[in-house]
This record gives sequence, structure tokens and C-alpha cells, in this order.
Amino acid sequence: MSGGVAPEQPDGARVLRADVEILANGVEGGANRRLALRLPAGWPGFAPGQFLMLSPGAVGAARRDDPLLPRPMAIYRVGEAGGGAPGLEVLYRVTGRGTALLSDARAGERVRIVGPLGHGFPPPDPGAEALLVGGGTGIASLFELARRAAPRARVRVLLGARTASDLMGRGDFERLDAGLDVATEDGSAGRRGLVTELLERSLHAEAVVYACGPTPMLRRVAALAHAARARAFVSLENTMACGFGVCLGCAVPCAAGGYALVCRAGPVFAADAVAWEGLP
Amino acid sequence: MKEGGKAAQPLRSEAQPSGERGGRARHAGGVPSTGGAGPGPAGIDTRVDLGGIALRNPVLTASGTFGYGTEFAPFLDLRRIGGFVAKSLTLEPRQGNPPPRIVETPAGMLNAIGLENVGVDAFLAEKLPALPEGVAVVASVFETEIDRYAEACKRLTGPPRVVGIEVNASCPHVKSGGIEFGQRAELLARLVRATRGATSLPLLVKLSPNVTDIAEMARVCEAEGADALSLVNTLQALDVDVETRRPALRNVLGGLSGPAIRPVALRMVFQASRAVRLPICGIGGIASAEDAIKFLLCGATAIQVGTANYLNPMAAVEIAEGIAEYAARHGFARVADIVGALELP
Repeated sequence: MSGGVAPEQPDGARVLRADVEILANGVEGGANRRLALRLPAGWPGFAPGQFLMLSPGAVGAARRDDPLLPRPMAIYRVGEAGGGAPGLEVLYRVTGRGTALLSDARAGERVRIVGPLGHGFPPPDPGAEALLVGGGTGIASLFELARRAAPRARVRVLLGARTASDLMGRGDFERLDAGLDVATEDGSAGRRGLVTELLERSLHAEAVVYACGPTPMLRRVAALAHAARARAFVSLENTMACGFGVCLGCAVPCAAGGYALVCRAGPVFAADAVAWEGLP
Repeated sequence: MKEGGKAAQPLRSEAQPSGERGGRARHAGGVPSTGGAGPGPAGIDTRVDLGGIALRNPVLTASGTFGYGTEFAPFLDLRRIGGFVAKSLTLEPRQGNPPPRIVETPAGMLNAIGLENVGVDAFLAEKLPALPEGVAVVASVFETEIDRYAEACKRLTGPPRVVGIEVNASCPHVKSGGIEFGQRAELLARLVRATRGATSLPLLVKLSPNVTDIAEMARVCEAEGADALSLVNTLQALDVDVETRRPALRNVLGGLSGPAIRPVALRMVFQASRAVRLPICGIGGIASAEDAIKFLLCGATAIQVGTANYLNPMAAVEIAEGIAEYAARHGFARVADIVGALELP
């Protein structure tokens, strides 16, 4: 489990750009991969829900212009990697050219990171009931929140994916002192169906909901929480070129009007602050 | 001002880092002192003069890719780059376009941000004072009507930190059916004339590459009193998601940037530099010192780093250092001597 190597600092404290060594880059299940990176010097710690921009593949001697942009990826945890070295872990899914290149990178090669970026999840109040809802690769954003909140709040983790092998990090969640429910669309693990159906049955006004996953799932979470008068925080995904507020590519519409940048105002938003009908 | 055209002359170094272009009355006493030793090997003079803007080195960052400067404070010392061109400003704040606003394309990206910006007044009141001393800030203006461009230039003239104004000529002109100002010579001439009359600061005109003859547009700007040219802006482009059968961007059309456009931009800088005597700031997919040097060799006095800032927020400083190293390795005492030093067959 996370060895507490890095101090847990408030988000927004410091941002690094570093080319860091890959300690491991292995298959997690199906198309999912687990990447462990050597923790860069001066790593400031991170808040659960913060993310990294990660180069699409190893940084080699030869320049690569294609694919061009770094990929935003949630920080899964900072823990003990092989040999006891502090490792920065990222779980990702091979879905396109960038992640395919990343999956080809070997231990000993380096990748470029910029981070930690964005604002993470506000921690639950002591003793509160926290419902963590993760869908697909969104699961990766929730592990550190679950780990830190489990000793002080009543944490229940609801994970959903298409099929059992897509449930990233499931073993890590099982080792936490937290409740765990699973749903898969094909019924190969847990209940057959959607993770939002699990939420619907557990939700009540005193619970606080934390969710990350595909937009249709988050839209449903927001609607359920609104109907149950429960507070909800969602971590949004979006295409972004920089991750630190200058490309302005990751704007999402706000309920109050105008736009907010996922990278800077988010990725975590109060669910009722998002204009869900305007999200592509 | 230098006399005569150079279109028929062989390419050679034209940039003079001293105040050769500073003799115009409206610049008297107004040449900002943002010079000083730049990064790189000792003994290399990295300074260049971009139309009356004295830069400590030839590397600026392109408008829209560097925010208002402070976003890069965690990554680099802003005083180690030549300067930066701030996000394009309109008179009033703008919210920008609905998403999706960007999409990755081969060796590049498409964007249609919609000129989201805080507006001229908030820039002057909030963004400018937040920057450290000694940073050369070029303000960029963008508007829909010529008189509004001129008003924006007027308001940006005076605050001590603004060392020049770059007029973004890629805005669609509503009264002309949406054609960009920079796509029609007559419109461009009126735009440059009006903004020239509205500011005593060095005036850069950022040209659209979406034209048949870039040299003609460059000559128009020179004739109307621009001090320098920035080129190129993004190339108008389109991408499609075949699964949804929708354009990749909500705005349908976007601007292409990144390494994909670099050879096109380099060609245009080459052509423009042979058509006018104005100093040129080269822009288009520059991501390394080698890329930047190509633009200098083809006649650019300075360059702007754009999309590369997104993937490597330290790119501009690394490029500035690499240019100085190249100068040392090739026996150039001054970076300005690289400008136009292309050996043509």
C-alpha cells in the first residue's frame, strides 16, 4: 500500500516538469496497464484527484512529433515500488496511439511528466458516509481518496466496468478498510449492470458522493445525487493540450454560465456546478 | 528607416541589434530597455531588435500559448526568454467557444478556442502587475471592427510594461462576410493604418497564412507603417470524427498548429523576408533550437514558440539556450548574425 513516502500536501502547492524513469509498466488486466515511475526530486505530494500530463510514450534520444500532445492521467497513488523505491503509480487503458506508445515503454526508459495538476477531491467530514463511484478508467482517480478517507470516514467504494478484467485496481481497493461493491455490464464480476444502479440503491441525503468515469455515468450520478439531495463531487475528463491553464482547450460549461477549465478549476467539480446538457 | 527594397537582393543578415530602426519620431525615447545578457555561452551577444523592441534574445512565446505569463512561473524564469506575446485581448472580456475546442491531429493540433480572454482593462489592472519586473510583454489585440482594434491599441499604449503591440489580423471581418482581415490586402491596409495611428509603441502585425501571396500582405503592412511582422498564425483546417459523422470541433473549422505546419511557415517567412525590409518574427511549429535556427536563417529576426509550450513548458528557455550554443559552435559572435544567413544554391 502507499508507504506515505511523500507528505500529503494541499493541492496547487507546486508543479514539476521532469523526465522520470519507468520502474515498471505492466499489464493490469485486459487493456489496462499499471505504470510505476521513480518519484522525481522535489515531488511536492498530491491531493487525491490531482493528475499528471504524461508524454505519449517514452522520451527517447530521437525527437517524436507524433502523437504530439501529452495525456492527462490521474495519479493513482505514491507507494513502494519494486525494491522499496518510492514509485508514482498511474493506471491507464490502451485506447489509442498515445497510450499504445506508452504501453511499449520499458522499465529504465523515461517519460515526461508535468504535475501534480488541478484541484482534487475535498475530503469527507470525519465520520461521514462517503460513496466513491468509479467507472472504467475513472476508477484510478479514486484510490488515493479511498485510502486516505477510509480511516476517518465510512467509505463505500462502487466500481463499474464493462467486464471483470477492466476493473482496474480492484485488488488494491479490496485491501482497504472500506466497503466494496462491483458491477460489470456483462456480469463477469459483481452485479450485472451499471455502477450507477449500485449508487441508486445506496444513496441518501447524508451521504457525500465522489465520482469519476465517463460523461454519461457522471451525468447520471449528478442527477441521482440531486434527486436525493446529497452532495456530489465529480472528476471530469477532457481533451487538453497543456494541463495548466493556457491552451484553454478543456473548457466545460458551468451551470452558472460561462466556462471553467477542467485542468485548473477542476478536474473535480461540485456536480451541480456543471451544465451537464452542454457537455459533449 | 532603411531605404529601398531587398526583394532582388541575395539573402543576407539584415538585423541590427542596435537602434537602427529606432529613429522614427514616434519611437524617440520609447525604445524599451529589455536587453541585457541572455542565456547561453559567454561571449555570444544574444540580443536582437525587433522593430524597435530590444530583446535580450530572439525567443518570444506566441499569443494564446503562454496565457498571461504567470502560468509559466512554476517552470521557467520569464526573464530568461526574449519576451512573450500575451493572450489576444478584445475590448470586452470573451467567454470563448463551446466544447470541443481542441483535437489532436498528425504532428499537430486543431483549436477553435474562440478568443476567450479577460479583456483589455482586466489585463492592464490585474494580469500585467502580476508579472515580475524585466519581462518584455507584447500585448496582442483582436477585434471584429477596425475602430475597435484601434481603441484596444490606444488603451494598451502607455502602461510601462507593454513594450509593443501585435495586431492579430486573423479575425473574421463580419462586414466583409467573415473573411479574415489578413486575407484581403485592402482590409489589411486599413487595419494597419488605423492601429498604426492609435499607438506609438512598436507595432507588429501577425499575418494569416491562409492567403495566396504572403509577400503581398507583407508589403501592405510595410507600406502602412508596421514595425515588424509576425508569421504565421494557424492554418485554417478541419477534422472529422467518422463514428459520430461530426466535425471534431464544435466550431467546425479550427486553426492548425504544431510541427505539422512548420515547413509551410518557414516557406512563408522566407518569402516575406525577401519582400520587405521589416524585421520578421517567425512562428509555426517551433519546438527546438534547430527549428528556431531554420527560421533565423530564412530571415526571421526573432521567433515565437507556440504549441510546444503546451508539451514542454520549459521549451522557450531551452530553445534560447540552444540558439546561443549554435551561434558559438558556428562562429557567430552575435545571434543577430544568423538572421538571413541561409546559403542559397
